[in-house]
Amino acid sequence: MSGQSRILEGYVSLPYRWAMGETTTRFFDEFKNKKIMGTRCGKCNRVLIPARSFCSHCFDNVDEWVEVGQEGVIKTWVAVNFSYEGQPKEPPYILGIIELDGADVGLPHFIGGVPMDDFDELAKKVRIGEKVRAVWKESREGNILDIDYFEPVD
Amino acid sequence: MTQAVAIIGTGQTECGKRDDVSYPELIHEAVRRAFEASGLEAEDIEAVVSGSMPPAMEGVANPHLYWVDAMGAANKPLIRTATCGSTGMSLAHTCFYHVASGLFDLVMVIGAEKMYEGDPQGTMATVADPFFQRPFLAGAPGIFSLQSNEWAHRYGLEEKRVRMAAAQLSVRNHNDALLNPYAHIKVKTTVEDVLASRVIAYPVRMLDVCPGSDGACALIMASEKMVKKLGIKTPAWVRGIGYCGEEAFFGEGDKVVWQSAINAAKGAYKQAGISNPRKELDVAEVYNPFTFQEMLFYECFGFCDFGKACELVEQEVVMKGGDLPCDPSGGTLCTNPIGATGLQRTAEIVLQVTKKAGERQIPGAKTGLAHAMGGLDQFNGVMIISNTLQ
Amino acid sequence: MEQEVAIVDAVQTRHGSALKENIREIMFSTVRQLLNRVGIEKSEIGTMVSSSSDYWQGISCSNSYYYDAAGANLKSGSKAAEDSALGFHYGAMRILSGHYKTVLVTSITKCSEAPPVDTLTHLATDPFFQRPVGLNETISTALQAKAYLHRFELNEEDLAGVPIKNLANAQNNPNAHRKGVLSLDDVLASPTMASPLREIDVPNTSDGACAILLATKEVAKDLTKRPVFVQGLGWNVSETFLGDRDLLNGSLPKAAKMAYKMANIEKPLDDIDVAEICDTTSFNEILWTEQLGFCAPGKGTDLLKDGITSMGGALPVNPSGGLFGANPYVARGLIRIAEIALQLKGEGEKRQVPDAKRGLAHSVHGLGGQLHSVVVLGV
Repeated sequence: MSGQSRILEGYVSLPYRWAMGETTTRFFDEFKNKKIMGTRCGKCNRVLIPARSFCSHCFDNVDEWVEVGQEGVIKTWVAVNFSYEGQPKEPPYILGIIELDGADVGLPHFIGGVPMDDFDELAKKVRIGEKVRAVWKESREGNILDIDYFEPVD
Repeated sequence: MTQAVAIIGTGQTECGKRDDVSYPELIHEAVRRAFEASGLEAEDIEAVVSGSMPPAMEGVANPHLYWVDAMGAANKPLIRTATCGSTGMSLAHTCFYHVASGLFDLVMVIGAEKMYEGDPQGTMATVADPFFQRPFLAGAPGIFSLQSNEWAHRYGLEEKRVRMAAAQLSVRNHNDALLNPYAHIKVKTTVEDVLASRVIAYPVRMLDVCPGSDGACALIMASEKMVKKLGIKTPAWVRGIGYCGEEAFFGEGDKVVWQSAINAAKGAYKQAGISNPRKELDVAEVYNPFTFQEMLFYECFGFCDFGKACELVEQEVVMKGGDLPCDPSGGTLCTNPIGATGLQRTAEIVLQVTKKAGERQIPGAKTGLAHAMGGLDQFNGVMIISNTLQ
Repeated sequence: MEQEVAIVDAVQTRHGSALKENIREIMFSTVRQLLNRVGIEKSEIGTMVSSSSDYWQGISCSNSYYYDAAGANLKSGSKAAEDSALGFHYGAMRILSGHYKTVLVTSITKCSEAPPVDTLTHLATDPFFQRPVGLNETISTALQAKAYLHRFELNEEDLAGVPIKNLANAQNNPNAHRKGVLSLDDVLASPTMASPLREIDVPNTSDGACAILLATKEVAKDLTKRPVFVQGLGWNVSETFLGDRDLLNGSLPKAAKMAYKMANIEKPLDDIDVAEICDTTSFNEILWTEQLGFCAPGKGTDLLKDGITSMGGALPVNPSGGLFGANPYVARGLIRIAEIALQLKGEGEKRQVPDAKRGLAHSVHGLGGQLHSVVVLGV
């Protein structure tokens, strides 16, 4: 035996087409009009964002649509400063979990509109419990990135 | 601690191209129906088991974690089992052991696939190892054609005869699928149609081959004491289970006298006290993604001697009204959301032995066999289900 | 739970950054070594349960590739995917059912052959909501860590002791892949990866495998002088969407409750002698020790600073070095269990915790710690 072991390099890349279902389809269609719509569970009364067709707590169907606010509160956040394949943005950038006014669960999305050159300065501007507001893209296609980011409300 | 296990509810979705719902919504549909069938709610379930084909099929890794809400599994124990084509049967076994161990008394199991969301044959090609087999064993039809040719050659079966028997099975499955509300392919077909259909991978023709489907299936299993507590009137008892796997290399083992299939059935028969399956089974759901393969399984399961499977078709033993009707659901041949397929086989036997199979009911069915095959033509799993515990 | 299931013995690889043998070879040599140690042949194995991951292996239906290499040719077997601790639970259930007297539980991951954790865990998000904004394991944990530090008014320095402790412990573990002596300054000089996590806070991945032989009590007593009994099993999952959860009160307390009830444990800190915890990040070791009930919420950093979780403390956590020592992603849960078995057999050598009679092994996978497993072992 030579003690050598070579590497076979390969790549698994496959095309996908993911069915959204009616509820998610409508949720994203409302984005085109800059509306954020959730669904309210008739049993536990929670307003769910993104809108769902069923409540996993009560385990029943949900079909009451309610509009939630464009503003919300940062539940937690992170400044991302590393890279991985398939990443949606060049680092550094900020991701937060935002609880929109009128919703009972949080939505993970970008936080923007703040300078990214100094993490310590950043931490003064982006804080847990502070308000942020949705900033929409000019051209909207009906997906989660129609909201460009959430920016701090001064 | 060891306790008897019953299946007390089944839930199946309509199968086909289900672009109307997202993946979790499809799961939810099956789960809700299992609750409706059993009179239970999510909060009653103590633990959950789920599984599917390689996650590359739908492009979401850790599907069990993606499905949590849809299964009502949050705040419960959850295990994902996945063994390729046999996933559904492996799932049924994993769920069985949750209850048989005595750790749980009421457990739900869900299998699903949404094959229109990805590239099924591309995904299945990644089951083969990348060093030796991947370039050659691309897609399922190729593998099964290799096996079918070897089988016919081994016993000197005339090609014309095998093709005719396979065509008759194709017609039977397609006819039965017309009566199954959950089936995917619902097309009336004739022997002539099958024989004239396009060759996919010689000798396998288009109408010898299963589709890829979107679909989900859920079962609820309960311990004997839970069956009594809930007052379940028509439990279907798991009387025996068997599973066997073999080598990773396709060319290594004998795929005609197929030891993993033989062992899986033997193990299940032994537990169920079955010595003559042809006589003691009233119905069987044999995993049949390809018509030819169904016949090969008849031999491995002891329904007939080796080399004699064509006779079972020619004498209509495996047709409705015969001694041992097979695949009254229309089988995998007409409906194949792979991660759910083995559970669908199991659900059909549950419906048959509890007299809930509607228009496709086999009269007097008391004991049945459910089966699935997986890995790289490598795993076989069997479950014997009966309407009585003894 | 009666002590009906026992660990006969366990074997691990020397974990490393890129083991040169292929997956089948490593699986085979690990199982072979286990059989040799116990002194039985393949024919005496009742059934095999393995754990692996299709995405981590790059070979789909991952168990089909190594099934016969794991000693299971013409035997029954199954797979608990993604976390090998779940394979252990399943193996134990197969024995408890009365169907089998011996069960081989195996797991392997060669992270060197797969894309990085954060690429793969990004693919473990739904395609509509969480994937487009780039959630993955490190980012989810950072979100959780930020909420934690905020709630308990702590800062990043409070987490720094974890890599220092665990990499030092790893020096006593011959199977560890990474080990070393770090200072507080070293930790604080590490660049920010995802605030508040620094690069040093997130253990790198490894290649490694593990095999454990389970048996009924009677058979175990025949096969080994020191059977280690399974006293408690618990596992539990949280909701899919990160935004739906209380990130600081997830499924771990429920998994622990299930295992503690079986094992009759009321005061974990007093009743457990040693623990191996999936320290997926520095912060996570702190959070998981709290959620396992070793201390009150927010007091995990005190537990660390007071030396309670250090070697020589009342409840040493990760004598092996934990994931900082070696992190073969799917196999790591079974390795935690194997390490506790080693401790309770008194075979921990330089990392032995004296007089360890009862230990806990924890494992987790999924964003923000979605699915947790707890195993309590005792002699």
